[in-house]
Amino acid sequence: MRNRVVATGAATLVMALGLSACGGGDEGGGEGKSKTIKVVAADYGDKASNASKIFWEKVAKDFEAANSGYKVDLQIINWNDIDKSVKNMIQTDNYPDVLQTGGYADKVADDLLYKVDDVLSPATKANIVPAFAKAGEAKGAAYGIPWVSSSRVLFYNKKVFSAAGVAKPPTTWAEVADAAKKISEKKAADTPYALPLGPEEAQGETLMWEMGNGGGYTDAAGKYTLNSAPNVETFKWLQDNLVKPGLTYPNPASTDRKTAFADFAAGKVGMMNGHPSVVKMAEDGKVEYGVAKIPGRTGPLESTLGVADWTMAFKDGKADKDAVKKFLDFTYTKKNLVAFAEMYNFMPVTTDAVAEMEANPKHASLKPFFEALPTAKFYPVNDTAWDVISAEIKKSGGKAASKDEDPKAVLDDLQKKAEDAAAAE
Amino acid sequence: MSLKAPPSPAETGGGRGGRAPRPVSRRSGLARLGPLPWIAPVILLILFVVVWPVVELIRTSFLRVSSSGKVRGSAGTDKYTKLFGETDLASVLMWTVIWTVVVVVCTMLISLALAQLFNQRFPGRTVTRWALIAPWAASVLMTAIGFKWMLNQTAGVLNTLMLDLGLIDKSEDWLGRSETAWPWMMAVAVFVSLPFTTYTLLAGLQTIPGEVYEASRIDGAGTWQTYRHITLPMLRPAFLIGLVINLINVFNSFPIIYAMTKGGPGNDTSTSMVFMYTLKETDIGESAAMSVVNFVLVVVLVLIFLKVSRWNEED
Amino acid sequence: MATATAARPRTTGPSPRSPKRAFRPRTLLIAALAWGLAALFLAPYLEMVITALRPREELRDRTYLPSSFEWSNFIEVWKESTLGQNLQVSLLVAGGSTLLVLLVALPAAYYTARMKYRGRKLFLLLVLVTQMFQPTALLVGLYREFYQLGMLNSIWTLIITNAAFNLAFAVWILTAYIGSIPAELEEAAMVDGTSRFGAMIRVTLPLALPGVVTALIFTFITSWNEFAMGLTLTTQPESQPLTVGINNFVGAYTVQWNYIFAASVVAIVPVVILFAFIERHVVSGLTAGSVK
Repeated sequence: MRNRVVATGAATLVMALGLSACGGGDEGGGEGKSKTIKVVAADYGDKASNASKIFWEKVAKDFEAANSGYKVDLQIINWNDIDKSVKNMIQTDNYPDVLQTGGYADKVADDLLYKVDDVLSPATKANIVPAFAKAGEAKGAAYGIPWVSSSRVLFYNKKVFSAAGVAKPPTTWAEVADAAKKISEKKAADTPYALPLGPEEAQGETLMWEMGNGGGYTDAAGKYTLNSAPNVETFKWLQDNLVKPGLTYPNPASTDRKTAFADFAAGKVGMMNGHPSVVKMAEDGKVEYGVAKIPGRTGPLESTLGVADWTMAFKDGKADKDAVKKFLDFTYTKKNLVAFAEMYNFMPVTTDAVAEMEANPKHASLKPFFEALPTAKFYPVNDTAWDVISAEIKKSGGKAASKDEDPKAVLDDLQKKAEDAAAAE
Repeated sequence: MSLKAPPSPAETGGGRGGRAPRPVSRRSGLARLGPLPWIAPVILLILFVVVWPVVELIRTSFLRVSSSGKVRGSAGTDKYTKLFGETDLASVLMWTVIWTVVVVVCTMLISLALAQLFNQRFPGRTVTRWALIAPWAASVLMTAIGFKWMLNQTAGVLNTLMLDLGLIDKSEDWLGRSETAWPWMMAVAVFVSLPFTTYTLLAGLQTIPGEVYEASRIDGAGTWQTYRHITLPMLRPAFLIGLVINLINVFNSFPIIYAMTKGGPGNDTSTSMVFMYTLKETDIGESAAMSVVNFVLVVVLVLIFLKVSRWNEED
Repeated sequence: MATATAARPRTTGPSPRSPKRAFRPRTLLIAALAWGLAALFLAPYLEMVITALRPREELRDRTYLPSSFEWSNFIEVWKESTLGQNLQVSLLVAGGSTLLVLLVALPAAYYTARMKYRGRKLFLLLVLVTQMFQPTALLVGLYREFYQLGMLNSIWTLIITNAAFNLAFAVWILTAYIGSIPAELEEAAMVDGTSRFGAMIRVTLPLALPGVVTALIFTFITSWNEFAMGLTLTTQPESQPLTVGINNFVGAYTVQWNYIFAASVVAIVPVVILFAFIERHVVSGLTAGSVK
């Protein structure tokens, strides 16, 4: 009998919680839209003095000062955790109003976002570099607002190259292998070529190599071609020429980009594909480095990999649409975008901010990255299935380069997963 | 530390059967409510914080959740079908079993030895016992990150040490391949499980009265015989507590593998718990299904264990 | 491993209560072994300290010791993070959940150990099943629940959740422990007119102290080290526990390894000290408990 009492109590509790669940759901849509804007953004930094929070707090303060009655509710989440946190928020209908993170298209698939036209004034929108604006279009309309961008180039350690007798940076794969062999023979660096195909960023390194062989993730029609012949050949080449001869990390599939970057900045890597943040790391580590175009199979890549991070506005957030628009217009000024880009050596995405940074001699070291940007190619970021496929590539794509794996089998498996994911959309 | 020959709760129940069970008094007031005032807070807290999310979890495993986190509707049993169709599932489950068995067996054996050792009188016993606490006091996550750091190929101190001792001829990427990553991660798992287990057994040892040993010595039993026929049987309750707790903890262990290899490359070093977590990145519903399977597995595991060890047997 | 273990008891364990100073050389051998093992247990944490003290540019050097110890790292880590607040959150969470566990588990364990009531087995089963759940699997549900209650980023949330996931062990241990204390003592007190609750507090609790300490320290350490729930249920750096706060030294492109380890050391030391302090009480409690 007492059990029954307990059971009834439990049922009551569960019901109460269930009811409050419904209540919570209604609140999101029905409640009067407010002037408080909930902003969730990624933290790119690794300590308090370079935390993205510093930037956002200043923007929020300025915005509140300039627009009395409006309030910004900031939530800055570590880069490595933000996507998980945002999924939790969406799953519980606890939407942010403005989100800044790495991807946007999966939210378009669920019709969660405002169109860019709804939340940016025409002037702000016109200021966005067209190539990026285009990458923000999914399902026939613009939803993603680019936030910052970066391009990839080949970094090499000058001291290592001269010790190994490599006269100039490689432009073809054969030259990469040759230079790596010389570095290895002269023991000029622990890791001649750093190939980080671990879960952190496998989708980036993979694409840079595949593009060198005329491959890539999708065909012209946007269909996934993860296991195309050029892609399989790329990994076969990597296995035979870098991995098996021991000219890179022994297990690229479990080596993360952070490790490669840190090793390069400690002078332990001969060359690697890198991102503008390496410039500062290398300078801090007093490594004399050079940059060059990324080598392809027969010649340097004319269009390199470009990556953009995104801002987006949620329809079901609690804030008023005009408040969101006010905030985004306020944030997307030259001053703010340059300030953020400078914090982490990114490149801004609006025409005037790019012009300002390019003209500033302080940023001379970023010149090669700016030059590469106009022709850069992107991931299929505007495909609504891309986020899932990217996660699959991160998890197991690197295995295609592992000594004892068959690249074709690994890529076939990925292709199947990609097709399933695309079909599920 | 002090599980003074802990009779398991169930054993106590059985034991009470011997004493005349005290009937719930028929007085007024609180007593009329019987056990409720005493146990209700526990039940409420468990229902509220544990059971409710479990219900939520089971519900999620039948939902179609998009990669953005949006619930798109019911999935029926699709997510379970998808989960059981995963090519890696079989090997993940197999490794989960190997992981649990190897780590628990090593932990229990080493802890038995450590408990014997630290039960002796010797100078500095207190201080050395404190040292034993370190892996317990430090969060498992931090310890795992520390080991990952020490095993790093470029600068890890363990690589340096092994190079200098001539054990290896070139720096190894220990965590990069499943063949070398598994043993290291198992070692770390044993390392962090030792303190609790050893202390449990130590407490058990201290409850064995000295006279029992005297008697055995007078009977002329050798050291090993004494250990086998007297110490071990009397340690049984403490041993079982340590065993069950370790079984559950090691099976559910997450931070070690997640911090050291993230279960990779691919899923080569995933246990079911890590596999569940990485599935979240691609399919939340399927991940929830894996959690449910995981839970069923641990319940079955523990029930089988309880049956086999006759934990619940009335005295 | 197994062979080494099988051999060890033979060399070390004839009788745990051997008279003082019986075998001088044997004692020395045991001491040497124990001290060696203690060093082995501390070694990984010593390496953490060394890494924490490395100058940034020597982090990837293959050396045992850095060229100089950078003590300023410990000061910097304080400035470069919300470590102070995180430490405070961790202390409040660990302390709060320990207290809550004690308040809730003790009466339940007492009653379960002393009384036969309907549903007793069921109650114990519920507790055992709870022990099998890891919060890692339940994060979404927990997030949803505390979001709806408007309790994200609250210290209370972490206290309640940590307490709940540690209840099982506490109830279990306490039930076992109290069950081993003879009921006659309380009955005598109750004949003298003390209520059952009074008897529990005045007679049983002191005797059960070692069991209570065990349950408490287990709860404290587990809550202190909890990571997954802290990560999910808090998002503001100031309201995160230490284990999660450390995570913020992992950036998008770089990791501040020496800060991570400096903060880890800061996190470990208080618990070790707490334990060293409490172990003495446990030992004295042990003797009291075994009077029986």
